[in-house]
Amino acid sequence: MTLPAELRAHIATDYQPVRPLRSPWARTLWILPLAAVALFAASIAFNVRQDAPNLGWLGVWGLSIAQSVMGLLVVGAALRESIPGRDWSRGAIALWLAIPIVTVLGVTLTSWEASPVLLHAGWWLVGGICFAGSAATALPVVAFASILAARAYPTRPAVAGALLGLGAGLMADAGWRIFCHFSEPAHVLSAHLAAVVMSTLIGALVAVRLCGLRSSSVRRGGP
Amino acid sequence: MADDQALRELMREYQSGRFEAFDEIYASIAPAVRRYLLSQARDGAKADDLVQETFLQMHRARHTYDSSFPLMPWTMAIARHVWLMDRRTLSRRPWTPEDVTAMDLPVKADAASFADRVEVRRALGKVAPARRNAVIQHHVLGFSFKEIAERAGIAETAAKLRSSRGMQQLRALLKGTTDGAESKRKR
Repeated sequence: MTLPAELRAHIATDYQPVRPLRSPWARTLWILPLAAVALFAASIAFNVRQDAPNLGWLGVWGLSIAQSVMGLLVVGAALRESIPGRDWSRGAIALWLAIPIVTVLGVTLTSWEASPVLLHAGWWLVGGICFAGSAATALPVVAFASILAARAYPTRPAVAGALLGLGAGLMADAGWRIFCHFSEPAHVLSAHLAAVVMSTLIGALVAVRLCGLRSSSVRRGGP
Repeated sequence: MADDQALRELMREYQSGRFEAFDEIYASIAPAVRRYLLSQARDGAKADDLVQETFLQMHRARHTYDSSFPLMPWTMAIARHVWLMDRRTLSRRPWTPEDVTAMDLPVKADAASFADRVEVRRALGKVAPARRNAVIQHHVLGFSFKEIAERAGIAETAAKLRSSRGMQQLRALLKGTTDGAESKRKR
């Protein structure tokens, strides 16, 4: 079989040498500054949680850094997913979705064990602030990671987007928990985890939209 | 098919600026890609179109290929994506001119007899659906290739390819009918 003349001519019009993309894990490092901002933003803008002395450095910063690193790994998995032929199996995707949730559960229960602080009043208000703050902090990471994913060629943009949204949500929540004064699992697992889930959904939507825009612009640019 | 190392090397050369490497890649792997797409589409003409689209997408996504991995899984992932996108587009397409017998086809004025129209319709009915749609939309309904591409959710080049191949097939079919009619007359 030989390359059809018309296709060859079309390809020749926009052919130029390209530099191959760096490995997904190397590109994940570009997220590092945003991950750091997400980790420190809430505590710098507002305060560190009041029960910090009870939790100690490991309980406050150690657990948050661990959660943030997990978030980075999930974004790396999303960037790998967005390369053709390097997509994850269903089982691996299930694991990538389950492990972060287990991580959040683990961090929540560890904090509750070390320093049980109940939320007595203003359940909806505090929950709303934590949900909105955490979800909003995730947005810049979602946006940047979506651009990185779309620069590749995701064959399943919804999966890649959900993973990067989940990773961004974990990073944002890792920062927000340093500020949130309440360790009550019901509050954390409703407001904070809901923000992670919301970030996952936003990631999927943004990636699908971005990839759709990219394909239509490629089509418009054709001869 | 060239071995895996040779294919990786060819793709690396294509990434770094040797355009001719793509010809060699095409010659090496297009049959395998076509076999895969044929197994999915079960229509030779459709599979040919999808092969073109796959190679066009390979060209566009060439920066995502990492030569430390084999080329075929990367290619097949793109081919599968192209197939799924085509299926999705087909399911979303609002209208397709499948019923060619009901259409008023513009046959040349000097040959506009009823028999000619019937022959053209019959031949058009035998052209692969994707190509037939492109031919009818361009040559009968007057859509530009850009419009056809937008409606079908494919690249403009693919729309042109579909139309020109459809016309080739149509010509061959019509030539077959006229040859048959002439030989009958001679007898």
